[in-house]
Amino acid sequence: MKRSTGLPYRCVLADCLGNTTERVVEGRHGLAGASRASGEYEGDRRGPPHVIVRANSSARRIAADVIKFGISTPLSGPAAPWGIPHKNATELIFDEVNSQGGLDVGGKKYKLEVIAYDHKYVIAEGVATINRLISKDGVKYISVLGGAVVKANEEPVNEAGVLNLPLAYAEGLVSPKNPLTFHSFPSPPETTVFWKWIKERHPQIKRVATISPNDDTGWWSIKIETTYVEKLGYQIAAKEFFERGLTDFNPILLRMLAQKPDIISVMASPAGSVGLIIKQARELGFKGRFIHVGQVDTSVVANIAGKANVEGMWVHGYVQSPLPEKVKAWQAKYTKKYGEWNATSIDFTNPAFAFVAAVKKAQSLDPKKIADALHSVEFENLWGKAHFGGKDFYGIANQIIYPMPFSEVKDGVATLVAQLTPPHN
Amino acid sequence: MTASLLVQSAVIGLSIGSIYILMALGLTLMFGMMHIINFAHGAVYMLGAYVIYYVFFQSGAPYFVSFVVAMVLLGVFGYLVERSIYRPVKGGIEPTLVALLALTTFLQAAGYPVFGQLDKHVPPVFEGTKNVLGVMVSVERLVIIPIAAALVVGLYLFINKTKMGAAMRAIEQDKEAAALQGVNVHVVNGLAFAIGFALAAASGALMAPIFKLDPMMGEQPLLKAFIIIILGGLGSIPGAIVGGLMLGLIDSIVATALGAEPAFLLSFVFIILVLLFKPTGLFGYAQ
Repeated sequence: MKRSTGLPYRCVLADCLGNTTERVVEGRHGLAGASRASGEYEGDRRGPPHVIVRANSSARRIAADVIKFGISTPLSGPAAPWGIPHKNATELIFDEVNSQGGLDVGGKKYKLEVIAYDHKYVIAEGVATINRLISKDGVKYISVLGGAVVKANEEPVNEAGVLNLPLAYAEGLVSPKNPLTFHSFPSPPETTVFWKWIKERHPQIKRVATISPNDDTGWWSIKIETTYVEKLGYQIAAKEFFERGLTDFNPILLRMLAQKPDIISVMASPAGSVGLIIKQARELGFKGRFIHVGQVDTSVVANIAGKANVEGMWVHGYVQSPLPEKVKAWQAKYTKKYGEWNATSIDFTNPAFAFVAAVKKAQSLDPKKIADALHSVEFENLWGKAHFGGKDFYGIANQIIYPMPFSEVKDGVATLVAQLTPPHN
Repeated sequence: MTASLLVQSAVIGLSIGSIYILMALGLTLMFGMMHIINFAHGAVYMLGAYVIYYVFFQSGAPYFVSFVVAMVLLGVFGYLVERSIYRPVKGGIEPTLVALLALTTFLQAAGYPVFGQLDKHVPPVFEGTKNVLGVMVSVERLVIIPIAAALVVGLYLFINKTKMGAAMRAIEQDKEAAALQGVNVHVVNGLAFAIGFALAAASGALMAPIFKLDPMMGEQPLLKAFIIIILGGLGSIPGAIVGGLMLGLIDSIVATALGAEPAFLLSFVFIILVLLFKPTGLFGYAQ
């Protein structure tokens, strides 16, 4: 029985010998070696039942030497420009940790492994993939992208005691009833602060129209955003929702544009939809600006809408230039591994950075202890120092806080124009 | 709602209706002849759009050449589907439906590894906007109207003025009697599949520069096409035209006046009302 040497077989044999500390038996002996060490008949590969049980039990221990981190994200469809960098960024950070020997927890090194599934931004697929991560893959730490998907999975995630570091907008997601959910991307209550920046610099903008997906993510985003901008003195000219997957926005836009907005907010809408909204609004004669204080890849948007149509758009969480040195280094690593740079990955590194920092601090693999550590740990992300806070607003300090980047599309490039901290800490 | 907004939404409704008509034509043709609902229609629409992406955008061929290539390629594909799926089950309606559903699932699932996970786009072929009755409408949307009209007229002439069209009408009325009169039912059915698929491909090819491309892009147009052929009458080409225009106008005018959700709801309420008074649809007749 020829199998490669390596950690798994070392564990098998250590277990079979009943020695949990001495891990020196060569792995090439494999299961036959395990049987021999147990005094069982070497030639019978199937082996007596108890040998198999030991092997399986060892397999569970093997799994314990690897920290499995589950990702449920859209890897296809209109929201894939979010999901692909979400997965890639997490993998790249874990690669780095693994290349340094792994994560040290209680004097033992653990490798980090990503198990990722595509939920296509479909709730049913999201439920299926998260069930699979928890029940079949035995994952205890996950990162889910998509507010509607995270909301649909609140109960199973809480019941299983799984630590969740989502990238998602939804009302009640960050709340005391979800103590193990740590939202790892700035949400509308944080990013609406950019409207204040706009108000100060562009006082001619007075009427705001919003268009957002017709689901948990869209409803909450628009509720927070419109409440905030009204307090700032803006008039809400129109508030529209669309079904994800819609391609013909003409009737909705016609209704919106009849209200003569100065700016259209496309908050929470994925890149594919934003591209079509901008293209069709321009065709109908809209000359104002667009803003996305969620996050969107403006290069994907420009591919669909046309470069000229996207000019002047404001966006949070997507920067192409100028990049700080730390982000440039990340860009080089990302490009080297994946062949193509994706600026969305910059802010989507947060779940992995937070997780690694918290496990290091907790020195435990218990999701509750890691959660406790997340409440107090301060860590570096690509924009500076980050921590989890927002207790005054959410009732629990489970929202990531850091200096958020804000860009304006100039000559087709998302150019950093401001970095602001959220209104709450 | 002001008068100018009403005119504006009506013009937009006509362009949307033209898109719907194109989608519904192939579907209703196949139902009329073989009494099958072609679930693969949306997937073929998607393939037609991707042909434009590769032949027009990637390879640099002229748009109308790419458009014809899409129709021919998918037409041949339709003929092969008739040979490999419809004919072996001897025209059984249920097995064909299940097989076409399986084909749809396969084509959509294969779309991601073949075409990529990210949405694709095709640059505009007809750029700019035109003022129509005081309404700004994109030229690429306006172009759809004459192309859809040309395809409708072409299909009408083919069915009513050619020998093959007469054979199609004969099969629609009575397959056995048509066969007894010497009509090669297999060949004519194969042609109907080819035309149905080619029309779906034409819709996708026209939509490619207007919308974005992804392997699931055919689902929504397929749903609209189903609504139209039920509204207009299953198997009726005039029904598909009137149904498409009505749905386009409802979608545009009601959505502009009341919002997208009431428009979606009202389109179903309208169909229910029509079917209550005319269960076969506006132009359908009892078999």
